[in-house]
Formats: sequence, structure tokens, C-alpha cells
Amino acid sequence: MILSDLLDARVHDAAGRALGFVVDVRLVLDGPPDGVLAPPRLHGLLVSPRTGTSFLGYERTDENAPAVLARWFRRRHRGTFLVLWDDVAASGTDEGPGVVLRDGYRRWDPALPPHRGA
Amino acid sequence: MSPRLRRGERPFPPDERLPEPPRPAGLVLDARLHLLDRQVVDVRGDPVAIVDDVELEERDGRVVATDLLSGPVLATRVFGGRPPRSRWHRVAWRHVTEVGVVVRLGVRGETLDVLWVERWLREHVVGRVPGGRHDPE
Repeated sequence: MILSDLLDARVHDAAGRALGFVVDVRLVLDGPPDGVLAPPRLHGLLVSPRTGTSFLGYERTDENAPAVLARWFRRRHRGTFLVLWDDVAASGTDEGPGVVLRDGYRRWDPALPPHRGA
Repeated sequence: MSPRLRRGERPFPPDERLPEPPRPAGLVLDARLHLLDRQVVDVRGDPVAIVDDVELEERDGRVVATDLLSGPVLATRVFGGRPPRSRWHRVAWRHVTEVGVVVRLGVRGETLDVLWVERWLREHVVGRVPGGRHDPE
């Protein structure tokens, strides 16, 4: 599987209700090191009702400049949420059903932890 | 226009406050925000490739990123689809030493397959041009 199999995929819940699109994939470097860094583990998916412009990430950081752009992008991506990989029941490619979440999945705040410096 | 859910189809109120997720122990990266389209530089700071995609693999019940992928994505980004698997060049994650404004590797670019086109051109084209095998005077 490559990342593009997940990015922009449609997301549905177990009942088939459309929830949005995968706008990003959250990775965590928390395992034993493979070389200098730990291999990034797939932690969760960021789901938004929109796909375009999401790469700027204003909705996930405390970045607020330029103020007009920050406000505009945050407003466009209202409703974005993080769903953990454990809550994903199935993930397909473009031709498949997209991403299906398991029954009882939880939605989390999509904001990045503040210590991230890149 | 990029795909989106119509206002009436959205299942949740847009201004809902969600709980903070469990905080993982390690560094957190959002792939599109922190990895994709970043310049990859080798141990000497020379540019090697661009991160066009990331290969994921299941290991011990966890899905982990194993390689950074670089390839001919210009046409597929314009017209859709993706390059065939055989056209991707892989840079193993174990070579990565830092993820910041650029992705830094701990090895020299010449040891990586991703630069084979550059090496081939240097040997077969530039090297045959008079003066092509030494530094400019």
C-alpha cells in the first residue's frame, strides 16, 4: 500500500453514511529505531468534508499569520476530525469503497501536538 | 472543483468541539503537511529527490512507512492515475536522519538508486563533451 491509496479517499461509516475525505495521514515515530529514527507508524486519518487546500494545515496548527488566510482556511476546513487507525474497518484503493470506519468509531480534535517543530 | 460533501450531506455540526486525542509518545508527522513534496538531501546537503509518495507495510499488526518514493508524477498529477509500481525509486526510511524543512539522509546520494539517471547522463553524455570530465578552470 502507498500513501496515495489513502489520500483523498472517501470515508464512510459502517452504515454507509458519507463522512468526508481523507485529507492527510497522521504518522507517529514511537517504535524502536530503524536507523536513526523510528519508522513512522500509521496513527490515524484526518477526515474533512472538503479535499482542496487542506495541505496548508492551518486547521491543525496554532499558526495564525497571515490572519486573513488563517481565518479563511480554518473556516473552510471546519468539521475536520481525526480518526485513529484502530477505528478503520476497511481501506480500499480508488476503485474500491474508500475507507470504512468501524461501528462505534470516535472522532478527535485534528490539531497537532504543540511540540512539533517542522 | 475538488470533491466535497454538500452542506446538507455533512453529518456533523461544523463548529463542534472535539476531545483531544490520546497523545502519542513519539514525534508526530502529518504526511501531506510534513513529508510529501519535501526536498530530500543527502549527508552532504546535496539534493537527491523529492518525496512524491510513501510506501506503507504491515509489520506485527502495525502499519509503518518503510520507504520514501520518488518518481515521474508530473503527468499523473495533471491527468490522474499514478505511475506503475516499477517506476518508483525508493529511499529506505532507515537512511532518514531528520525531518524538517527538508528530509535529511545519513548516506551519500551516489549510493542510492534514485540518482541513476543523473549518473548515466554524467557517464554517457556529459563525460563525452570536451572538458566534461574535469572541473571548470
